[in-house]
Amino acid sequence: MNNLTKRIESAKEKWEAFQKNKEPIIYIGAASCGRAAGAVQLLAQTDRWLKENELAAKVVQVGCIGPCYLEPLVDIQMPGQPRVSYNNVTPKLLPVILGSHVGESVPYAKAAIGHFGKEPLNGIPRFFDLPMLKPQVRVVLRNCGLIDPEQIDQYLAVDGYQGFMNALKTPPDDVIGVVRRAGLRGRGGAGFPTFKKWTACRNAPGNQKYLICNADEGDPGAFMNRSLIESDPHALLEGMLIAGYAIGASHGIVYIRAEYPLAIERLYQAMQQMRDYGLLGEHILDSDFSFDIKVKEGAGAFVCGEETALIGSIEGKRGMPKSRPPFPAISGLFGCPTIINNVETLGTLPNILRNGPDWYNRFGKEGNRGTKTFSLVGKVRRQGLIEVQLGTSLREIIFDIGGGLQKPFKAIQTGGPSGGCLSEEFLDLTVDYESLTAAGSIMGSGGLIVMDEDTCVVDLAKYFLDFTQKESCGKCTPCRVGTRHMVEILTKITHGEGSAEDLLALRTLGDTIKKGALCGLGQTAPNPVLTTLRYFRNEYLEHIKEQRCRAVVCKDLIEYRVIKEKCTGCQSCVKVCPTGAISGPRSEPHNVDKTKCIKCRSCYVTCRFEAIAGDAIVIGSVEKTS
Amino acid sequence: MTKERMLSITIDNKQIQVRSSQTILEAARDNGIVIPSLCAMEHLPPYGACRLCVVEVDGLRGFPTSCTTPVENGMVIRTGTTELKSLRQEILRLTLGEHPASCLFCGEADECKKYQGTIRKVGMTTGCRYCSNDDRCELQQLTERIGLTETSYPVYYRNFSVEKYDPFYDRDYNLCILCGRCVRVCNDVRLNATLAFKQRGKLTTIGPAFDRTHLEAGCEFCGACVDVCPTGALSPKVSKWSGKADADISTTCVYCSIGCQIRLQTKNNKVIDALPDYASSVDHGLICVKGRFAVPEYVHSAARYSNPREMTPMGYNDISWEDAITRAADRLKDVGPDQCLVMVSPELSNEDLFVAQQFARQAIGSENIGSSLMIELGDDLLPFIDLATRTEPFSVMGEAQAILAVGFDSTHGYSPIGIAVKRAARRGAFLATLNSAESNLDMLAEVSCCLDEGDWANVLDRIRLGTLEPSSTKPASDGPDAWGEEVKKIAQAFKGSAGSVVIIGEQVLTSAGRHEILQALLKIREELSCKMVVAHPYTNLCGMVAVGALAGLEPGQAVRKGASEAALPFAPRPIDFTKPRKVVYLIGEAPSSGLPECDYLIYQNALPGGFPRQPDLILPTSLFSEAAGTIINAEGRILQVREAVAPFEDSKPDWWILSRIAEKLGKGKPKYATLSAVQQEGKKQVKGVSDSRKKVEFERVSYAAVRRTDGGTDSGDSRRKRKHARYRGIALSDVVEGMKVIRRNNE
Repeated sequence: MNNLTKRIESAKEKWEAFQKNKEPIIYIGAASCGRAAGAVQLLAQTDRWLKENELAAKVVQVGCIGPCYLEPLVDIQMPGQPRVSYNNVTPKLLPVILGSHVGESVPYAKAAIGHFGKEPLNGIPRFFDLPMLKPQVRVVLRNCGLIDPEQIDQYLAVDGYQGFMNALKTPPDDVIGVVRRAGLRGRGGAGFPTFKKWTACRNAPGNQKYLICNADEGDPGAFMNRSLIESDPHALLEGMLIAGYAIGASHGIVYIRAEYPLAIERLYQAMQQMRDYGLLGEHILDSDFSFDIKVKEGAGAFVCGEETALIGSIEGKRGMPKSRPPFPAISGLFGCPTIINNVETLGTLPNILRNGPDWYNRFGKEGNRGTKTFSLVGKVRRQGLIEVQLGTSLREIIFDIGGGLQKPFKAIQTGGPSGGCLSEEFLDLTVDYESLTAAGSIMGSGGLIVMDEDTCVVDLAKYFLDFTQKESCGKCTPCRVGTRHMVEILTKITHGEGSAEDLLALRTLGDTIKKGALCGLGQTAPNPVLTTLRYFRNEYLEHIKEQRCRAVVCKDLIEYRVIKEKCTGCQSCVKVCPTGAISGPRSEPHNVDKTKCIKCRSCYVTCRFEAIAGDAIVIGSVEKTS
Repeated sequence: MTKERMLSITIDNKQIQVRSSQTILEAARDNGIVIPSLCAMEHLPPYGACRLCVVEVDGLRGFPTSCTTPVENGMVIRTGTTELKSLRQEILRLTLGEHPASCLFCGEADECKKYQGTIRKVGMTTGCRYCSNDDRCELQQLTERIGLTETSYPVYYRNFSVEKYDPFYDRDYNLCILCGRCVRVCNDVRLNATLAFKQRGKLTTIGPAFDRTHLEAGCEFCGACVDVCPTGALSPKVSKWSGKADADISTTCVYCSIGCQIRLQTKNNKVIDALPDYASSVDHGLICVKGRFAVPEYVHSAARYSNPREMTPMGYNDISWEDAITRAADRLKDVGPDQCLVMVSPELSNEDLFVAQQFARQAIGSENIGSSLMIELGDDLLPFIDLATRTEPFSVMGEAQAILAVGFDSTHGYSPIGIAVKRAARRGAFLATLNSAESNLDMLAEVSCCLDEGDWANVLDRIRLGTLEPSSTKPASDGPDAWGEEVKKIAQAFKGSAGSVVIIGEQVLTSAGRHEILQALLKIREELSCKMVVAHPYTNLCGMVAVGALAGLEPGQAVRKGASEAALPFAPRPIDFTKPRKVVYLIGEAPSSGLPECDYLIYQNALPGGFPRQPDLILPTSLFSEAAGTIINAEGRILQVREAVAPFEDSKPDWWILSRIAEKLGKGKPKYATLSAVQQEGKKQVKGVSDSRKKVEFERVSYAAVRRTDGGTDSGDSRRKRKHARYRGIALSDVVEGMKVIRRNNE
């Protein structure tokens, strides 16, 4: 314990020194989202710029601070000045910013989005006062984007591992009591009270117990867990120590999807740092608690996020779920009592153990305590990773944090492929486990997809169901066969070949699959269809009765037309059409041959952005010839 | 074994007492409440995939499957609510959505019967009447039980081509409903793991990984998957279109010395199939390819002799039994005791062997009772009998902490032993294998030695010495310390374990270094007190020794009678196979080499032997499916062979033929008219073999009077030939199509 206390002291000193930097610090958001936006190029460019200008500066790769729509983010902190954040930095813009802020110590306000100081600064707002950030309560994400994820000392400096040290001083049963009083519920989707699972495991007979972190994050487009691990791996690892200690496990396993190479790299790095500091291995911090962690990579199966399939996968078997009872808490990995917790659940623990359960109860509401991270994507102006108190309304999330939409709001999809689409009438629904389930959706792992009139809900339902059908492990009949039938029916409907009986069939199938399926994948697979049927029935009926897709998405129900009055005959579209469907001589209005058109959008996009006319091509519903 | 608790649960308002280890499904069945199910099976671990057995349980959300849910005290269960019934119907509709079921609900299904003859020639199965499993299909039965009368879901026909390229059974995965039974039996019961689920979603299917054939993937062709398949997806080639069997007769397989219990399926007086008996205490239903698939084609081979025949200058003539017996008697009448040689097969029953030795000794007056196994084993006959008659019961694997398998592979034989070894290794026992090629146990072995047979004895000695004196694990030769590490590990394991077992496999008996290997093994037995299990192909060797059907042994001499009686070691007398004889009488034997020259050859068997010398007199015998009797397996158990079908044409049991000839000769006792007469006499003369509930134990072998045989019988050649399974001297691969394929694959 003394050893670590010394290190913490020195870490805090380093951190202080770091804040009172003598040379410039340039932070570049280089987690996966940043890299996708071009951060790697910016890093290289920065290094070159510094060399060319013979300036010394510290360049730190940080994780994801949240607003993905602002990536790539470059922050500059000059000695004596607050850290300033610049958004959507392009290779063209970077040298201008560096030249001004680093070269001349003058923040380039035109391109700055916010600053991290206390006092106001030259018209640049405080970052955390930005409308997207202000309503957020950043507990799990508190360090993301702010510290260097590759330095354990920075984590220690911001009170990292304090929670674990507190836990070590308490008997394990009392740690479970703390988690109970905090009201923490599983953040992986089911929302099961964490303390209950832990208690069952702790009381289960057996000397060998396992703690597994579920970092499979299979929901398409979900990135909450990935961001946390890339940006603040120690938060997860500290949480694992706390959980392992509480349930009496000696081994921890992080089951992480292989598609997260940067997160895996950071994990290994962080674990080695823990070992060097005596935080992993035998007799951690000279206590009786011994714990070590292994990383196991997934192999590309969504179903392996289901806990019994995940256990099977770790055991070297095909990832197919098993019936419960017996529950993993009693008989799990290799037959031993096992606890599986989501990344976010574990990432929350250090905060609860550091600040106490009463502190955590300040957030959220009765029965739904604390905060939850969400990935807010889709047609909102401000997309990214957010964290709000449970009980926040959808309206607040979409319009205050997300900045609203450009076109009118149509629907919001929550919970990924297991969740449902909620219509406008649910905007005042509060985000908590029960409300969402009552509306027919689920909280899930935290995906929020906002849609406007340009999204076809039938197409969306088909997309999700196609995903679950492809990912179905094939073990049980209702899921394997039922989802296939549902996809076939939805495909028919999107082709304009549906009938009224199909809607009844969809409901019957959905009901059978929900009741009959073995695991959560199957039991929740029909949700997107059932909710859209409930709240957007008219859209289905239009597809069926009128063969019309009001969002102009379903290919068989739309056609491309040239508005002759507006067409200047510039032939830009003719050049890009892959099938020769659009044709016409120069200076005369062009024509679309519907039999050849494959609706690839090339002509539409070309006309809009590169041709003279700009709006001569429209996509609309198929015109009925009477 | 801890006593199970009894719990009280309520099913459908009925309160019942159930065992705490049961699932809801099992408890219900025991109390006469039938919950429909498809993927659940008695000896398979619970799976919960078909979802048909769903029930409602107070306190458990949703609809749990009764086959996977263990009972708990005070549980309240409902099995037949309206919601459950309609859910089951919907699920069955979905199941049928993957299975061509056009005949299930068709009104013309019965009318169709007159066209079935031509329908079945169609390659594609689209409905019940086209399917080989019609009338035996569990899906048909289930549809009736659940009361489904229609389905509107279009059938998803996968368009797989029927897999016929592997031997013994065909696979039509268009009929597969993915219940998973085959995968579970292959992985969890047979511990072979050839079958697995492949792909997922609607592309899910079953087969060996990486698109290999079953032969390539190491399939044992044990047929366990075929047995459990509820549809016609897996069907045995031979009996595919035979329909439902008329009778099911329990008997003992005679293809090797394990003596697995098999259930012969018969129809119209033909054996159409052979199924395992999972309740058998001998093999627990874990039979091998030979017992499972190689019986019908052998016992109904077109080459079987139907009448006695004699050789004439013009070729063979069919003669009557009377004439045949007269011929034989004439030839044997005044032949001197040393001018005659009787050879008996180790696949004969105790009764046949008993009569045969009586015949030789009393009717002919000769002690020259030999066997092909003497030719094959040569000078190693005594050591082999020593090891084989003192084989431990196979159940020793259950407690063994260290196992060494020498020359043993259980892919196409000896499965009960092989699977017991695999189970032990999985449980944590130390397993080492010693072979000249890959064996199917290598994967589970901690130490795997693959070396030339000539070097096995050396390694075995080093293991023995290493176990006795750990510091002495030095190589015997001055060469590089080959296998030093392995020997050390094995010796360590053997030293540290309370129960060590050595399995002696078939390859030891056919190897070039057999003599030294057997000596080394004997030493291991004496000095390390290891339990030895010999897995050998000589089916009723113990019977032969017990009834004295070998030169130099009296009936019952070798059997240990009781603690009070003095222990008398025994040893068969060697026979000179090079000496020409006047008459050689082969009973169930067809030695491919080593047959002595003779003036007159009597061949008493069911199929032609293919050996160079044409027999002068052929006496057709019935086979084990047609003639009852008993055998003694390697463990010393007395097992019943039962009559399943009537003898083929005019063939007769061996003991009957011998009795008639003895009658004609007018000499000696054997003149039995019935099997029970034989058995009664046998009871009197062979003490210690009468109570079939007790195992037969043997006295020790005496090496005192060992005399080397003069001159070599070419045991090398017969060694090689013995590598292939034989019954009554005929190689199974000569008569059974699938065994040909397996033989080719192994070579």
